Amino acid sequence: MSHPQVLFARRRPGQTVSLETYLQEGGYQALGGAVGKQAPAALRKLVLDSGLRGRGGAGFPTGQKWSFFPADAPGPKYLVCNCDEMEPGTYKDRELLVADPHALVEGMALAAYALGVTHGYVFVRYDYEDVFRALERAVAEAHGAGFLGERILGTDFGFELHVHGSAGRYILGEETSLLNGLEGVRPNPRLRPPFPAQRGLFGRPTTVQNVETLCNVPHIALHGAEWFKGLALTPGEAGTKLFGLSGHLNRTECFELPMGVPLREVVEVHGGGVRQGRRFKACLPGGASTPYLTAAHLDVPMDFGNLDRAGSRLGTAGVTVFDERTCMVAATLNLLTFFARESCGWCTPCRDGLPYVCYLLERFERGQAGREELALLKAQPAFINQSFCALAQGAMGPLEGLLRHFEQELLDHVTRGGCPFGGA
Amino acid sequence: MPTLTIDEREVSVPAGASVLEAAEALGITVPHFCYHKALGAVGACRLCAVEIQAGPQHGLRMACLVEARDGMVVSTTAPAATGMRRAVIEYLMLNHPHDCPVCDEGGECQLQDMTVAGGHGVRRYRGKKRTFPNQELGPFVEQEMNRCIQCYRCVRTYRDYAGGHDFGVLGVRQRVAYGRFRPGRLESPYSGNLVDVCPTGVFTDKTVRFRARVWDMQCAPSVCPHCSLGCATWPWARYRELLRVSGREGPRTNGFFLCDRGRFGSGHANHPDRPRTPRLDGRELGWPEALEALRERLTKLTWAHGPGAVGLLTSGRASLESARALGLLGQALGGAPVVCEPHPRRDRAVRALVAELGQLGRDQEDVRQSDCLLLAGLDPEGEAPMLALAARQAVRRGARAAVWDPRPDRLPFPARRIARLPEALLEALARPDGRAPDGLEAAERESYAETRAALQAAERPVLLGGADLLGPRGVRLLLAAARALSRPGRACGLSLALPGPDSFGGALLCPDGPDADELLAGIEAGRVRALVCLEADPLSEHPDPARVAAALGRLELLVVLDHLPTASAARAHAVLPTTAAAEMDGAFVNHAGRLQGFARVYSAGLPIRVTGQGAHPPREFRPDTPGELPQPGWAVLAALAGEPVELGELRAELARSEPRLAGLAGLVAGGPGVQLALEPSARERPDTPAEPGVAEGELALLSVEALFGSEPLSARAAPVAGVASEDALALCPADAARLGLGEGEPARLRSALGEAVLPVRLAPGLAPGFALVQRRFGGPLEGFAPGGGPIACRIEKGGAR
Repeated sequence: MSHPQVLFARRRPGQTVSLETYLQEGGYQALGGAVGKQAPAALRKLVLDSGLRGRGGAGFPTGQKWSFFPADAPGPKYLVCNCDEMEPGTYKDRELLVADPHALVEGMALAAYALGVTHGYVFVRYDYEDVFRALERAVAEAHGAGFLGERILGTDFGFELHVHGSAGRYILGEETSLLNGLEGVRPNPRLRPPFPAQRGLFGRPTTVQNVETLCNVPHIALHGAEWFKGLALTPGEAGTKLFGLSGHLNRTECFELPMGVPLREVVEVHGGGVRQGRRFKACLPGGASTPYLTAAHLDVPMDFGNLDRAGSRLGTAGVTVFDERTCMVAATLNLLTFFARESCGWCTPCRDGLPYVCYLLERFERGQAGREELALLKAQPAFINQSFCALAQGAMGPLEGLLRHFEQELLDHVTRGGCPFGGA
Repeated sequence: MPTLTIDEREVSVPAGASVLEAAEALGITVPHFCYHKALGAVGACRLCAVEIQAGPQHGLRMACLVEARDGMVVSTTAPAATGMRRAVIEYLMLNHPHDCPVCDEGGECQLQDMTVAGGHGVRRYRGKKRTFPNQELGPFVEQEMNRCIQCYRCVRTYRDYAGGHDFGVLGVRQRVAYGRFRPGRLESPYSGNLVDVCPTGVFTDKTVRFRARVWDMQCAPSVCPHCSLGCATWPWARYRELLRVSGREGPRTNGFFLCDRGRFGSGHANHPDRPRTPRLDGRELGWPEALEALRERLTKLTWAHGPGAVGLLTSGRASLESARALGLLGQALGGAPVVCEPHPRRDRAVRALVAELGQLGRDQEDVRQSDCLLLAGLDPEGEAPMLALAARQAVRRGARAAVWDPRPDRLPFPARRIARLPEALLEALARPDGRAPDGLEAAERESYAETRAALQAAERPVLLGGADLLGPRGVRLLLAAARALSRPGRACGLSLALPGPDSFGGALLCPDGPDADELLAGIEAGRVRALVCLEADPLSEHPDPARVAAALGRLELLVVLDHLPTASAARAHAVLPTTAAAEMDGAFVNHAGRLQGFARVYSAGLPIRVTGQGAHPPREFRPDTPGELPQPGWAVLAALAGEPVELGELRAELARSEPRLAGLAGLVAGGPGVQLALEPSARERPDTPAEPGVAEGELALLSVEALFGSEPLSARAAPVAGVASEDALALCPADAARLGLGEGEPARLRSALGEAVLPVRLAPGLAPGFALVQRRFGGPLEGFAPGGGPIACRIEKGGAR
């Protein structure tokens, strides 16, 4: 089943789009059409009308975020692209940037124009050396061609873009930690308020956006808000979405699909079905920090609203599928071990609560848990959700999914005195 | 003023206050770890959960992060809130070692209290505990990292509040630790605050490790005697030994914190050589015999030679009451005048300040709240360490700071600096047109103009200075500058570091009187035949020790009242042992004119550690207390005058005779103290002559106080003696090169203060033309009394040291 390709339209297997190809295929037309010709406020309005929501996981409406930004305030302001893609099961930004780095450069230049920003940073995950190199090259090419730097396209608008390689922790994906990391201080998340739009990087107004979000901006600028909304299959949603498939599927690749595509199509058509002909047991619909969906959810349209209503989240749309032989307790323990390891250590529920959850889950796996441990485990999300930032709250996603859909499996661990799937 | 309801009680709080602070105002303590009044709320521990039941927010929230709003209804006891708090305590206790029986924090441990209060009594975690290696952090602070609950208070204090750089957060996740990159002595002069702010036993006072449980110690509210700022302290004693000092909340003074000199310098009270028995002509006597004999000799001298035959000398170390009692002794002897400080220049500087200060005095809180600071001739680290911390808080809030000083900048905040003596600059600032003095470089002129403009534009400007460098003329110029920068309705304040904790009070009591040089001249001329020194050590504190030694040798009678084994006491005919501040009730007037009382913590006596010869528990039973003879200075002097009084009577007399000290009547130790109502003296201000300059080809020597080792009390405290900096001669690299001297090479220093061979330290921050030494007791620089301002010196390549 083929769907219109927008972000992946220029993607060729094994290649990175050069400036030449990018220009040949319509690149930088959006920038040329906007800078000096369209008022920044009009561009912001367009993004607001398009219904674009952040693709980094939280799904906050981009236009609304931009409306809070003091675009006309004097002094330095910053645009930061969050490319610290470290959510387990999520690799869409890497696919996108390795294929088409100029899309981000153009998207950021446009966003900078809309927001009255003159300096931008792309904060790249430590392990993404290929992305880093592709971006550095694209930035140099764009600079040489006058799409970055001073007096872009002969106008008064100037924008400098810097590519920054992270030192490598999951917490840096949290936008305020990222800002601390960029400043060179310990990347603990910051207290909000003040929000980055008021006091962000180096104490100045800052907007932090995901790669995919920014890459959508040139297309919206070129084709309009109505076109963008029309890309979605479900009402109230907008655009396409990059789905990164992983887990027990026959095809674990990244696909651009319309917003609202049913989970069943994702799994059975694009993912080629569950591997070895096994049955679908569960999936993480949007990365490691989203609650599980089960076979009962296969007809849920994959978009922000419908996944919320199904008790989960679209997140980053990194779909990880588990087949029927998976022990969901072990899977959850695996995920929680990641989150506990990646805690920055700032607040108690995350730093000490997550290891405690791991400890409890381990007891289930080893058959050392009783009903007292189950009660304890059930009580944890309420406490851990009081964490300082969203890291530990995200970690509660799979745990809450486990408790909601697989309590029987936990009980089986208790009654059998160990893992029924032969784990641990 | 939002009004809200907490646990069914209404409270109004200032706008901007948090729910936690609003609850505090009702006397409800919401359990917390990371919140600290001085450090603010950061929301890290997640312990202060409360349920907000009505108002702009709903549900479980952290009380420290929610601003109190009108109409809010808050419950601190809702099941969701108590459940959350219990869970957080359980998380924090997962790895906490159960070593409370051998933990020095036991009994004053916030974690212990919160664990009990939170109802977490049974451990449900059966896993392995996380452990850390500990770091050696020097002689003051002991680290036991396994006890840590990661509240981040230590690093927020050390780095954010105090500006330290060598201590921070290490590691991530459950392995977050706090310490130095490599083990080693903590470099900050405020490192001891880690002990106070740590809510559990990670950082404890190493100097008293395993010495006592908190409930076995005696303590009372006191005032720090180690400089003139008058910081609020709690000294703690056990078995007649002063064990440790911790910070007390002093809203107008230190806030919460202390410098390491104030915290670790209290051991002087336990000094083994401290005078403990009255001694006359080499014989130990009881009080009645000693006092009787001395009274007779003093009276005879007065009869024979007139009231001028007895000289009276005190210092800023003596309490206000003792200084008054010395004045009363002078009256009883027919009107012998009191000299306030053994260093004449210090004496005149303090008297100049007290005479002219009026309402311009500014304390530490004023400095913290200031929006523009000028530090002219102040070296806070040596003279008043906490003043630098107060200034840092102002700068953190956006205040501008400028420094006019030839010495290297060791301040924990950025400031615009002119590396010159401040006198000419202050003189310019005091002139109506404010024109920059001649001889400045262009950048300096610009910096001066900018600072002057900033001071004029500021709403709460404060000029800070140090009496030691400024001297009487500099102090008058600083006062004149402050007056010139003041307008009706907006004064420019002044905060001057003085030599001792009661220098201000002493000068208030005797505004006129001779200085030490006039006293010495009297001795040399044979007019003065006896000298009574109250907690003053002219041999160490006068700039010409040889002259003092010769003069003391001429005396028929030298009486020294002290609790320190000073050089002067060693030469005295009579030594009368007095009590240290922690062993008596008394009062000091701090540098800004605030009268503060302190209470007796314990009674003087030989520590049981000494009398018991180390046996534990001590097995010596006797009806008396060995070494209990020291008496407060005022009591000894009143007895010497033949008119024994009670402290209350003395204070009442003082309040009557000196209306500015009327506040003494109701003075309570541990209270906020009383800001004295001062009027600038109506007397004509003498035009202080400029001090002799330094000739071409000579270097100007500055002898100043160091953080450790210079101040007479802390220099005699064992833990501090171990960390005093090495004796050295600091030169700017250009001067050193001209003299052919390199780093560490011996140089011979000759000056009026004395002669010494010292290793050279290259100090790039030192202005050219200056040489800098720090006086240290017990070394070649002992005689280099600070307080003299720049004097001429000669430096050449030195021989063997």
